[in-house]
Amino acid sequence: MENIYLPDLAVIDRIVDETHDIKTFTLQFASRDLRKNFRFKSGQFVEASIFGAGEAPFGFASNPNHPEHFDITVRAAGVVTRAMHALKPGDYMGIRGPLGNHFPLEEVKGQDILIIAGGIGLPPLKSLIDPMLDCRGDFGQFIILYGARTPADRVYKPLLQEWSERGDITLLQTVDTPDAAWSGPVGVVTTLFEKIKLAVDRTVAFTCGPPVMIRFVIQELLAMGFAEERIISTLERYMKCGVGKCGHCAIGHKYICVDGPVFSWRQIKRLPER
Amino acid sequence: MQAGTRLVVNKQVFLDNLSLCMQKMTVIGPQKLRGGEVTFGPLRSLRGLTLDYVNDLDPLKRFFLPQREVLFAYDLSGKKPRLLQPEQEKPRLLFGIRSCDVQGLAHMDGFFQGACYDELYWARRRNTLIISMACNRPNESCFCICCNGGPWLESGFDLQLTDLGEEFLIDIGSRAGRVFLEERPMPAVTASRRHETRRRELMEACDAQMVPTAYLAKACIQITNNRVREELWEEMGSECFSCGGCTHVCPCCTCFDVVDCPEGAKSGTRVRCWDSCQYSGFTREASGHNPRARAKERVKRRFYHKLSYAYIQQDGHPGCVGCGRCITVCEAFGLLDISAVVKRLRRDGQ
Repeated sequence: MENIYLPDLAVIDRIVDETHDIKTFTLQFASRDLRKNFRFKSGQFVEASIFGAGEAPFGFASNPNHPEHFDITVRAAGVVTRAMHALKPGDYMGIRGPLGNHFPLEEVKGQDILIIAGGIGLPPLKSLIDPMLDCRGDFGQFIILYGARTPADRVYKPLLQEWSERGDITLLQTVDTPDAAWSGPVGVVTTLFEKIKLAVDRTVAFTCGPPVMIRFVIQELLAMGFAEERIISTLERYMKCGVGKCGHCAIGHKYICVDGPVFSWRQIKRLPER
Repeated sequence: MQAGTRLVVNKQVFLDNLSLCMQKMTVIGPQKLRGGEVTFGPLRSLRGLTLDYVNDLDPLKRFFLPQREVLFAYDLSGKKPRLLQPEQEKPRLLFGIRSCDVQGLAHMDGFFQGACYDELYWARRRNTLIISMACNRPNESCFCICCNGGPWLESGFDLQLTDLGEEFLIDIGSRAGRVFLEERPMPAVTASRRHETRRRELMEACDAQMVPTAYLAKACIQITNNRVREELWEEMGSECFSCGGCTHVCPCCTCFDVVDCPEGAKSGTRVRCWDSCQYSGFTREASGHNPRARAKERVKRRFYHKLSYAYIQQDGHPGCVGCGRCITVCEAFGLLDISAVVKRLRRDGQ
């Protein structure tokens, strides 16, 4: 039997500075076997280790159709993430994963898609958007709403540019505080709802972002008439083991790390604390 | 010898065999400290052993989920990090463990198996023979009779002993228990009616010493249906010191923290150590966001985990074995241990 707390080694291939405090790390496993056999799904996550600093969970931020490399996007916020920001390409990290459940990707084929992301909530949704765009024809209308504190706080700026230039998806972005160059909308992400037209009975909404944003987004979606199971969100909790044992991420009798992080509003609203 | 049949072995003969085991394996048993308290620890000879004891305040879960445990060691001196797994421990025999703690192990067994199988826990569990001692000395705070936690058990042990004075009456609970008896020169006889009668008398005497203080059923319904007034949780939260004592001594509490302990820049260990849902930092995220920042929410969480049907369904039983340790350690003396809370909920119940 394996020690479920023992990570595998992965090498950093590439580091991209996204904002002043966010970086994206592209990783691949050191073991050739693992590199060949590793698979993950949109919405799953890894526990990434810096030996001596500790371990923290990060959602996959890249396309599961290309599992030989994978990305995690990390904001320097605590001990582990600050240590990660000091790393260079070629350095090692420990990785345990894939962990957790995943977004329903196959199940929503044929539907219109609405993605609502806030700040660093976009990376996990990118692992869903990427494979969806690989088979764009399988979905109806495709709308992405993205809100950030300032234009500079947006992650994946070149990709956002690319998405905005595509004719087959709608990308709307808003910021709380604009800078001189910003000509787009200003306000919280829910203010973008009035700019789009939706058929709520054939749309599935996916949202990820800060807890307060998710709360308002879900309120608005329900007010628009979305059915509870058509609202898919991720829940976030402080997490340690990632395998349902340490107890930190429990909400009611659900463990975010194994029963989640992806839940429909129908599931979330039954939890005793939200 | 067949499982299910009770046997009787001369006590001294059994203890002499236990003594022989000490050369080959780690034998853990109850021993009296200089101050008179009893604690469980490794025994080198029978001289350290006592059979006259109320239970250890420190829960015996510590022999399976130690307070601090190395998950792996790392070595960064080479080009590539090296990770080293902890070594296997010697086979162990846990002698004299009380029924409540055996029941606590059954609870932990359920939790540490399944899809995310915790090999570190199970390696210890597999190499430890459990010889329990049916409880003839309950503490004043014990209430195992309310929780199916004793004083006698039907299963969960390898062998269960009943102290009959000159003899041990033995329930065989597993193949390993049976093999233990068969492999040793221990003349055993099948229990006679006289032995069985004595066992029943002891059980009844023990039951009579215990006041059934914790009627869990109603509290379970109240908590499951969220029918406890928020003001009552508020009140209990204001009384709680958030010391975490109740969770640390609970045989059913398993939450842990994981931290790295560097030894210099190039090596160190990753360890897990007991944590408590009663600490404010337990759910605090790096962003500062804390869903259970207030003691009220944490007390509510603790009893939701112990008593809600959602958990009872998952675990098969409430998260309490009636050992009474939380009654002994609670800083909010007599207000927030599980038996007190169950009583308060019941009194307050609509």
